[in-house]
Amino acid sequence: MRCPRILLPALALALVVLSAAPAAGQGEEVPAGRGFGARFLQALIDGVQFGVIIAITAVGLSLVFGTIHLINFAHGEFVTIGATFAFFLNASPAGPGWHLIPAAAAAVLFGALMGAAVDRGLWRPLRARGTGLINLFIVTIGLSLLLRHIVLVLYGTRPASFAQYDIQEAIDLGPVGITPRDLTVTLLSILVLLGVAALLQRTRIGTAVRAVSVNRDLAEASGIDVQRVVLVVWMFGGALAALGGVFFGLVEIITWDMGFKLLLLMFAGIILGGLGSAYGAMVGSLVIGIVAQVSTLWFPVDLQYAWALLVLIVVLLVRPQGILGRRERVG
Amino acid sequence: MSADEHAPVLAADDIVAGYLAGIDVLRGCSVQVEPGELVGVIGPNGAGKSTLIKAVFGLLRVRSGTVRLLGEDVTGRSAHEQVRRGVGYVPQLENVFPALTVEENLRMGIYLRPKDYARRAAAMAELFPVLAARRRQKAGSMSGGERQMLAMARALMMEPRLLLLDEPSAGLSPVHQDLVFERVREINGAGVAVLMVEQNARRCLQICDRGYVLDQGRNAYSGTGAHLLRDEKVIELYLGTLARVR
Repeated sequence: MRCPRILLPALALALVVLSAAPAAGQGEEVPAGRGFGARFLQALIDGVQFGVIIAITAVGLSLVFGTIHLINFAHGEFVTIGATFAFFLNASPAGPGWHLIPAAAAAVLFGALMGAAVDRGLWRPLRARGTGLINLFIVTIGLSLLLRHIVLVLYGTRPASFAQYDIQEAIDLGPVGITPRDLTVTLLSILVLLGVAALLQRTRIGTAVRAVSVNRDLAEASGIDVQRVVLVVWMFGGALAALGGVFFGLVEIITWDMGFKLLLLMFAGIILGGLGSAYGAMVGSLVIGIVAQVSTLWFPVDLQYAWALLVLIVVLLVRPQGILGRRERVG
Repeated sequence: MSADEHAPVLAADDIVAGYLAGIDVLRGCSVQVEPGELVGVIGPNGAGKSTLIKAVFGLLRVRSGTVRLLGEDVTGRSAHEQVRRGVGYVPQLENVFPALTVEENLRMGIYLRPKDYARRAAAMAELFPVLAARRRQKAGSMSGGERQMLAMARALMMEPRLLLLDEPSAGLSPVHQDLVFERVREINGAGVAVLMVEQNARRCLQICDRGYVLDQGRNAYSGTGAHLLRDEKVIELYLGTLARVR
């Protein structure tokens, strides 16, 4: 049938239209006057940096979808709350003025607790009552609005930066340059993603997460406490979203709706990579980040997200299951 | 009440259960399995055979009736708790994790006792030699017969006292069906009580100690496998007249 083949590209097209809002000003401005090769390399480095940050935030979203088939529209708010909580501890006049590193660690812990709280307090009771997936999806939209406006009330509309690592001079790496802050964030993000892969592939709980994603009933029948695995996934997703929020706030700026803006790219990344696959989310996010940044070599920066999402449409037309997704068997 | 070694391994009484609100698939069904017994459940499509196994195992909520394991009331307990109490379950469909390797599937089978993995994996390699050579292979790339072996091995990793099999021969070639029934016999011979639901009624009753015939969610007949195979009504209604001449 042709219809289902058209559905995902149609969703992607909707994302392109939504992304017409001005981009968040991601990445270094590519200076004119340098050779094309150098500018391309610079855009590529910026793209990788942007892509790995999207990937960190998207992995949790993808794992939640994989284990309970819920599209969590409120995941972007976990990112914002991670960043604003770290800002409160680090740079807010009303906060304790901690250094960014312990503030970030506390935000990650807070993100994990927030993930546990929404699973225990909201999603688990709703699942136990047999609430349908569409209804749950609408609840995530409501939760997203609620959390976003709580942040708006508490944090306000002004963009802000963390107290440390704000303005830095770029290290000259031949044709390209990168600030120590951005280099550290990129390397840390890559390390975190490798850690996530190792956890999923090499640990008992990671294999259980993959088993629950594949077949929830069979996992339960194997003696796995599926509810506990789902709780771990929520905590893990919340922690990663908070960390991604701190990283994004560090290389860019903290705003009350930063997570909501990133959400579009997270969805694009996980659909492009293959829904429900953590590795797919990583690969898809990286592609989205790189295309968004490299497109600025030829096109206005305001359109960078639109190009990334157009790539999503093209890939889905050729490979509807995404880059690493498995084709659904029909019949 | 705690476990009683002399009580039946499984005693399910007057089970009422179903998938949709207000519609009962099982309407007062009872089965009992003694230690070391191989018990078969047969019946026409829609009789509630698979539903019975799911209700006993905790994958489906029991609306009324009781499920006892070695005398302990486990009605309403979740499936993973039943595994902890010594019950293994092999579903009819999707009975392996296709994206996981054979080894990972077996590790999931003994998730609650990871330290025993090596010992149990060695025992399973002896029972199912085909699995030993394919430890690193993705389960999704195996044949139907091999998957069924892996599914049984996964369920046996925890050394269950009771193994629940949901149509283990479904979709297999006659050769693989023979292999599966042979293994079920071996597993039972090693002391594991087995409750097996089967579409292949004649083969099921040939190897079972006792059998139940379900019809429309209720017990229709019960007796030893040999007795049911000779029962005129069972032959007429459930085995087909060809069974009479064999």
